[in-house]
Amino acid sequence: MGMLRIISCRGDDRRLWNEQDALAGDAEAIAALREVERIFAQERARGATAFRVEAGKPVERLGQFDPQASQIVMVPRVVGG
Amino acid sequence: MKVDTLVYVVLGIMVCVSLVLFWWFNSSAERRARQLLRAVLTEEQYRHLFRWGYLDIPSPSYPQRFYRVPRAPGIVHLIENGRLQANLCLQPYDEVPEADFVVIHKLMIEADEQTYLLKANRIVPIGTTAFNDGDLVELGRFFMMYHH
Repeated sequence: MGMLRIISCRGDDRRLWNEQDALAGDAEAIAALREVERIFAQERARGATAFRVEAGKPVERLGQFDPQASQIVMVPRVVGG
Repeated sequence: MKVDTLVYVVLGIMVCVSLVLFWWFNSSAERRARQLLRAVLTEEQYRHLFRWGYLDIPSPSYPQRFYRVPRAPGIVHLIENGRLQANLCLQPYDEVPEADFVVIHKLMIEADEQTYLLKANRIVPIGTTAFNDGDLVELGRFFMMYHH
């Protein structure tokens, strides 16, 4: 089970997916995975940066959506203050 | 009841409802942001942040450097060899709850330090030395230099 967390004015918006179920052919899981991929691409296009955050591992910047990640955090576009 | 009195009562109720909704939205957003902060920080880092009001994030590229990130939105101190080298200012373009500022700084510093340094506005404090495009620059005692 993976979770995409998009930082926003609401705190964070969360989307879940289950890669195992999607690989097993579950239509609902496939649809959820496609939706998360679409949101990921949409946020990247808006200037957001994605990071893989997993307990006990160094944070890693993601250029592409990784369905195997357990948690991806998307940071909105940043500017010098 | 007169019509104008009724109008005032309705307006008063609307203002109260708006205030309650505003408070609820903000507290809900802040609660979610705290949950994310909790997920990103270790237990020790989380306790340190709320006890001392800042979090020290070691630089992944420079062993003698760390970044002091405040709990509330504000200036990040770049400290190297025990000396304050620069104040950095970076913020999200969109409005986000306070707790998310720490998350943003932490993730960017740990996973994308060079982009973080490129994007942040840098204020070099008085009487320090600083690197400017690779050259060591000695700054005047009474001046501050702004890099973009």
